[in-house]
Amino acid sequence: MKNAIEVHGLRKEFKSYSSRSGLKGAFRDLFSRNYKVLRAVNDISFSVKQGEMVGYIGENGAGKSTTIKMLTGILTPSSGDVVVNGMNPHKEREAFVQTIGVVFGQRSQLWWDIAVQESFRLLKKVYKVSDEEYDRHMGHVIRTLDIEPLLDKPVRKLSLGQRMRCELAAALIHNPPLLFLDEPTIGLDVLVKLKIRDFLKEINEKYNTTILLTTHDLTDIEALCDRVVMLDEGNIIYDGALKNLKETWGEGKEVQFQFLERVELSALEKVTQELHVKWELEEKEQHFTAYTTDEANAVSDLIGAVISSFQIKDVKIMEVSTEEIIRKIYEKGEV
Amino acid sequence: MFYLQMLAQYIGQYLKTRLQYRSDLVVELVSDLLFQGVNLIFIIVVFGHTDFLNGWSRDEIIFIYGFFLVPFALFSSFFNIWDFNERYIVKGELDRILTRPIHSLFQIVLERMELESLFGAITGFVVMAYAGARLGLSINWYDPILFLIFVIGGVLVYAGVFILIACISFWADARTSIMPMMYNIGNYGRYPVDIYNTVIRFVLTWILPFAFVGVYPAAFFLRREEWYVYSFLTPVIGVVFFAISVFVWNEGVKRYRGAGN
Amino acid sequence: MDKYIEMIRIRFLMMLAYRTNYYTGILIYSINIGAYYFLWKAIYGGKETIEGLSVLQMTTYVAVAWMARAFYFNNIDREMAMEIKEGKVAVELIRPYNYLTMKTMQGLGEGIFRLFFFSVPGMLIVSLIFPIRFSADIYTWALFSVSIVLSFLINTQINLLTGMTTFFLFNNTGLIRAKRVIIDLFSGLLLPLSFFSQGIQEVFKFLPFQGISYVPSMIFTNGFSFSETMQAIMLQGMWVLILIVPIQALWILAKKMLVIQGG
Repeated sequence: MKNAIEVHGLRKEFKSYSSRSGLKGAFRDLFSRNYKVLRAVNDISFSVKQGEMVGYIGENGAGKSTTIKMLTGILTPSSGDVVVNGMNPHKEREAFVQTIGVVFGQRSQLWWDIAVQESFRLLKKVYKVSDEEYDRHMGHVIRTLDIEPLLDKPVRKLSLGQRMRCELAAALIHNPPLLFLDEPTIGLDVLVKLKIRDFLKEINEKYNTTILLTTHDLTDIEALCDRVVMLDEGNIIYDGALKNLKETWGEGKEVQFQFLERVELSALEKVTQELHVKWELEEKEQHFTAYTTDEANAVSDLIGAVISSFQIKDVKIMEVSTEEIIRKIYEKGEV
Repeated sequence: MFYLQMLAQYIGQYLKTRLQYRSDLVVELVSDLLFQGVNLIFIIVVFGHTDFLNGWSRDEIIFIYGFFLVPFALFSSFFNIWDFNERYIVKGELDRILTRPIHSLFQIVLERMELESLFGAITGFVVMAYAGARLGLSINWYDPILFLIFVIGGVLVYAGVFILIACISFWADARTSIMPMMYNIGNYGRYPVDIYNTVIRFVLTWILPFAFVGVYPAAFFLRREEWYVYSFLTPVIGVVFFAISVFVWNEGVKRYRGAGN
Repeated sequence: MDKYIEMIRIRFLMMLAYRTNYYTGILIYSINIGAYYFLWKAIYGGKETIEGLSVLQMTTYVAVAWMARAFYFNNIDREMAMEIKEGKVAVELIRPYNYLTMKTMQGLGEGIFRLFFFSVPGMLIVSLIFPIRFSADIYTWALFSVSIVLSFLINTQINLLTGMTTFFLFNNTGLIRAKRVIIDLFSGLLLPLSFFSQGIQEVFKFLPFQGISYVPSMIFTNGFSFSETMQAIMLQGMWVLILIVPIQALWILAKKMLVIQGG
């Protein structure tokens, strides 16, 4: 099967001015300026198969949105090849965008002053969707997202969660085979998030829609994506299954203790110095967390050593969270 | 065809939202009338102190002003791009525009329509009728056709110049207070350009060709034969400037940096 | 006081940052003044004086009126409208300064910038091309300076008033535009008020607008006698004081509205 997205050696550079400080510097800026070339995306390559759901993650400024904007035809790449849905996004922009749907979480696609269904009607014309196609497809979308009662309200009167559901529906009016979601769940409460996730899974199954998702909320990715692409300073540092990431980086166990008495971190370190343990203290709640290896008896050794010296109020054994893994990777800067 | 359909769709939407705020509409119409009135008052007050402006009479100048109002009204209805930089570049609204399958400039035209400005054309016709009657101007069968062509030429000149200025935002980080000043310069095309010296005349004819929105085409209907060549150049200049501006726009979009960078 | 001066400085720096604006600004102002110069020359035709002003005085009047406009003109009404609509005003209100004073200071920062980097070099360029007579009299310059500061205040006060109407009207872009047009004509920017018929001039005497452009421009062109000048400046000062009343009244009402409706 053909790939939905094919990216090869993609690069984007921005020229930026740095202004000199103070009044005197500002005067000098009037006549000559300092330029700096910033490479936001540094020769990245990857491909996405039709029907895949891919999480695109990275810290702020890692180059996520710049990549998405190049993939959607908003920005022109400095160099490299992009083929999305068999087209070059910025060269054949108008034909190309007919085949994608885009949701920017922080920017509305809908018209502020008019009722939601009026926006839909307008977009239906914009994307040249026939009446019967619209009824068949959107009827389902509207039901699943449960936005029927919102349709006759103007967008400015909707809550964030309501608006987001409508935005999603609006991006799907032409039933695109590829959907870009940039921070779609930002600022939403859990229930709305769950609804949106279920919906995305459903359209992925039903229409084999490819979904590329950027988010800060890793639970979104865990719930939806089998594959993640991780970006750092414009480079791809990981591209593969989320499961593998967990297996390689999720090594070690995490045990959390609470004590009845006041305990010093140094005392804990002392009793466990024979074992491979790293301690961390959460000051406010007095939670002590021990990180240890995956060896068979590591956890029992650890608990044994601690119990024999201190009075324990509570013990929790935890699996390392995805968030933790990502944090670790970024601290190290590579996979 | 598709673009005409879209235009109709957007006009429909526009009327719906506009009619929700009727009092607004009234204020806007009144302020438009005021604006047109101020310029007329200027002409009338000035001619209280002189009879001719370099050989042009008061009524001729008023007629030129009346003509100018028609293309200007059309321009202001459809090319509201004076705040393009703030609205579309700084706030990043262009991102949204670029993810839709319609030419980006056309989308902005559709979104920023202000149809109430069309009333300015009515003022224009009234003013022309008044001045024309006093001058005893005749109307030939071909006049309405030429009028239409000249008006479209004038709109394209205005649109071309303002699109070009909007394009500056693609290259420089300028917050353009150039726009409002350009509106001022546009006004000078309403006076007979032979009152200016060659430099300004050259600028108003070939560089910022606002003379093609006022005095040049209007001179045809005033039967000032010495200007006929320029009158008939109006549609040519309009098409050329508009074509250049669309080309520059398309180039500019390629250089668009996105918001927040 | 420090914070207000800092605000002036910040605005000043902001203006400096947009240099394309700056270069084109000077060019366009020069074209503007140039066009008006020829327009007036054509209007005068062969006449020596109209309403007591010679051609030379008239061109000086136009040049100075536009250059002074660069100083007193600002868009704080539009900015206020935007801030009020976007609800930013509520945030401004909890900051430890007076919102209206802050807006005035921002306007002043812009004005000072344009005065030094726009009006002065612009005026020099224009005076090289067109015959413009500068007064050699130090008193004229001093009185002119006092007068344009008062112009700034009157214009800014009117802007504050129009800006504050946003609290009460849903959309006031039309109003803001109408205000601008009225000021251009009634303040004497487009043509000296003495050109109007006697009856209309009487009406103008009861309006604050002539204090914005007509008074400083006439002082600069020596179009006023000394006693007329003093009287005009007094009148400007009076208007500054009078306008404080409606501003404070509207402001109190607006704050009440904010409290009730929560912005």
